[in-house]
Amino acid sequence: MFQDLRHALRLLAKNPLFTLVGILTLGLGIGATSAVFTLVNALLIKPLPYEDPAHLVLLFEHFKDQHLDTIPVSPPEFLEYKAQLKSFNKLAAFDTATFNLSEGELPERVFGAKVSADLFPLLGVQPIRGRTIRPEECAVGRDDVVVISERLWRRKFDRDPRVLGSKLMADGRAFTVVGIMPASFEFPLPLFNVTGAQFGEQADVWQPLGFTDAEMKRRGSRSYGVIGRLAPGVSSQQAQAELETVVRGMRTQFKDNYPQSDSFGATLFPLKEQVVGGMKPLLFILLGAVGLVLLIACANLATMLLARATAREREMAIRVAVGASRARLLRQSLTESVVLAICGAALGILLANWSVELVKSIGTQTIPRLSEVHIDGAVLLFTLAIAIGTGLLFGLAPGLASGKPDLTESLKEGGRSSTAGRHHNRLRSALVIAEVALALVLLTGAGLLLKSFVRLQNVSPGFNPSNVLTAELSLPALRYPDKASQTNFFAELDRRIASLPGVTHAGLTIILPMSGVNSDSSFMIDDRIVDDAHPGPDEEIRLVSPDYFRALEMPLVKGRFFTAADKLDAPPVVIINRALAQRYWPNGEALGKRMQLPTREGPVWANIVGVVGDLHHRGLDQPVKPEFYVPLLQAPYPSVILAIRSPQDATSLTSALRSTIQAIDPTLPIAHVRTLEQVIADSVAPRRLSVVLLTVFAGIALILASVGIYGVMSFLVVQRTHEIGVRMALGAQRSDVLRLIIVRAGILIGTGTLIGLIIAFFSTSLLRSVLYEVSALDLSIFLFVTFVLALVALLASYIPAQRATRADPMIALGRG
Amino acid sequence: MMTGPLIRLNHIERCYPLGKQQFFYVLRDINLEVEEGDFVSVMGPSGAGKSTLLHLLGMHDFGWTGEYFLDETAVHRLKPKERTTLRNEQIGFVFQNYNLLDDLTVYENLDIPLSYRRYGKSERSALVADTLDRFSIVGKKDLYPRQLSGGQQQLVSIARAIIAKPKLILADEPTGNLHSSQAAEIMQLFKKLNSEGTTIIQVTHSETNAAHGNRIVQLRDGWIVDSLGGK
Repeated sequence: MFQDLRHALRLLAKNPLFTLVGILTLGLGIGATSAVFTLVNALLIKPLPYEDPAHLVLLFEHFKDQHLDTIPVSPPEFLEYKAQLKSFNKLAAFDTATFNLSEGELPERVFGAKVSADLFPLLGVQPIRGRTIRPEECAVGRDDVVVISERLWRRKFDRDPRVLGSKLMADGRAFTVVGIMPASFEFPLPLFNVTGAQFGEQADVWQPLGFTDAEMKRRGSRSYGVIGRLAPGVSSQQAQAELETVVRGMRTQFKDNYPQSDSFGATLFPLKEQVVGGMKPLLFILLGAVGLVLLIACANLATMLLARATAREREMAIRVAVGASRARLLRQSLTESVVLAICGAALGILLANWSVELVKSIGTQTIPRLSEVHIDGAVLLFTLAIAIGTGLLFGLAPGLASGKPDLTESLKEGGRSSTAGRHHNRLRSALVIAEVALALVLLTGAGLLLKSFVRLQNVSPGFNPSNVLTAELSLPALRYPDKASQTNFFAELDRRIASLPGVTHAGLTIILPMSGVNSDSSFMIDDRIVDDAHPGPDEEIRLVSPDYFRALEMPLVKGRFFTAADKLDAPPVVIINRALAQRYWPNGEALGKRMQLPTREGPVWANIVGVVGDLHHRGLDQPVKPEFYVPLLQAPYPSVILAIRSPQDATSLTSALRSTIQAIDPTLPIAHVRTLEQVIADSVAPRRLSVVLLTVFAGIALILASVGIYGVMSFLVVQRTHEIGVRMALGAQRSDVLRLIIVRAGILIGTGTLIGLIIAFFSTSLLRSVLYEVSALDLSIFLFVTFVLALVALLASYIPAQRATRADPMIALGRG
Repeated sequence: MMTGPLIRLNHIERCYPLGKQQFFYVLRDINLEVEEGDFVSVMGPSGAGKSTLLHLLGMHDFGWTGEYFLDETAVHRLKPKERTTLRNEQIGFVFQNYNLLDDLTVYENLDIPLSYRRYGKSERSALVADTLDRFSIVGKKDLYPRQLSGGQQQLVSIARAIIAKPKLILADEPTGNLHSSQAAEIMQLFKKLNSEGTTIIQVTHSETNAAHGNRIVQLRDGWIVDSLGGK
């Protein structure tokens, strides 16, 4: 074996061009495969960074009749689950939160969470210093402690151990730092399909969760996530069955809060599935794509090795003549191909590392667990296995082909390669046809995704996103404890910003369209019966300031926008969108009708004063939903998002905006400053990522297939040099020779294209779920990629064809 | 003690199909016995079938009919793998164009047949060293074939053929690419090997070369037309 290894290395060194092309080809194929496996490893294979993560589940409620599928839980419901469910070791509640830190020169907003005491023991992760939250601290008034992340400790406190026990000023309160979580700890993990600003956030502060008395009285106010650890020996099915029993009990006990049908319920979801499950379709598509690229690379190498095998036929014959068995020759051949593959894999790892970093930089709004996406031991092992497997695969055909040389022909003086050469030609042709076919399949997939993406980009969002700056702002409860203080702040903010130079309109909202965040509310409509047979409506609610609609340039269909007069003590008003009007007043006029809206103080009747156009809140590829808008001045909320329109580049307003807010309250930071165009771009980031990656892979496939065709045609020209010489001596023109080669290439390309089209016809249906307004059998794409591939492939064969026409007949004939 | 000849061919024929029901006969009804220790020269005009006969004897060619006994073993009844084993044990081949492996050094070219016969590493080293010394090419062990003269390459080729101590050496025009002085040296070497007990069958056009042997077999159009000399 060592002998074979030594010989293989010597052979590679002796043929540098062959070796370079081989290593590059394999580097591309193996590199792409390893890069995708890095994603698969981090997202699907590696367990979540908690103890025994397979037993962690999330609990979501649903109202099937209102199409509310995964909604959070209210405090009373959480406490009942905690008390009654025996299927869980522990159950914890949590909610995301933001904290305005006053440490340092400028205030800073950090992401965090409010969590119940059971959370850290449930996850099984110990702090690196100090302790976690105690149960007695999960009460209003006693919750002035925090656990911080290692990241925050490093960034803000320079890893000073004295931070434990010290005070952290946040939201105007002093919190005692009691613990520091390790760098690898992350909670809550972003749940898939949550795009937007929150997706890339990592929590740095954890505060005890204490339910207020007001929360405990509102069974229908659902905003808390629930995570549980299944008890030993309990399956999720058993836990689900018990959960359903508890839910039935709740429906019976609290008849006024739940429909008596089974519309309301609760479901357990494996935590990992919620975190990464949504990535599975993309990852499987990518795995399929890189698999094709790797196969094409293998086919390329096999054709190159076959050509070399033909040239080495004499050597193989000598080896057989001096005693080599067929198995021995095969072993030698496979050793050579595996060595080449390992060299290619080394380059592949470098390429994979570079491309993983690139994917991470463009996938911040798409890929969960991004910090775990890197090349580790598992990826290296996988790459080695792929390298060996690839080497065996592409070395097998040439190895078997060269194992039975014709000894008598090859060994005698002046012996030519005989039938073995013709057999190799057939095999090479078959490999090239396969390459062309596979390249076509990839190109078709990429073309469909690209067309889909372009279609999506052309969808009007329902508003004008150009030149609108957005920024988030949270009012701390301590400084803004009531509606009046919040409303006064917003009114002052509105006034100041509107007067800034370069601002045409400024609005406030609590949720941006296409940010991945949503909020819904039930309501009642005049003269509508609500009972078990007719569940009350529940649609999406937005709280907005008067100028919000103008800031987004949303069309006013009927009635009016909100004004400054629609404030706290004014009659409640509401604006609805066209979809809501059509759903609930399909034949009549919605304007002037009334909707009963739930508030903290009790339900109020609001007049519909306006109808606005629809916008794609959940995404450009999602249908518009019914929405209603409530004035922020009548229902203030402490966390808002500013939307400021400018006639010029809106980002130029950033520092003026920051200064304006700090002039009102120096302790208030702004966060997530980005344009509305950026928000939309982030919402389509998953699609963009898949389009970019698949297009890159298709491009690689095209290059490899072209190189394959070039190689085969070049070899064919060399093999037929004598024949070409004879033809030219008999009167063939250069164009005749050109036609001879091009026609041969055309047959290979045409056959490969036809097979590729058939495979694509049956396989593109796998992309159906990710295509937008594009058929999986889109004729224009099929035709276009066929044309492109054929053109590139014919160009690749033109160069050796041209070379053939320059053959000197006398020299060519002399080789015979 | 062996009683029969080393090689016995009975009614050996080799033909190639030309078309429907048409065949071209390269060897016709060959009957030949070669005793152990013989030095046989096979001669005849071009196309007589000399090389075909040699490759048949060397078990490089399997498309023949008839009976072939090598050291009383019925080669015609052996499976391909068994033929290869028998060939490796009994036969060394010397080619007109040397057929050394260009990417291997002299040492490695000598080592290759031993590695194919599963000799252990230390045994191989000893045999190669011994052969290099015997052929006085120790100083050339690290050179590649392209760095040797034709005569030196043929010397290495013969060394490779005998390193595993075969009973029989088959040589196809061993001096065809050498000039006369080199050729004489090679033939002297063959004579010496033969005197040590190795049976040699060579294909040659040269009367001078044939004179070194003790027997001449004449082939014409695939027939043995004459067989002179022998024990």
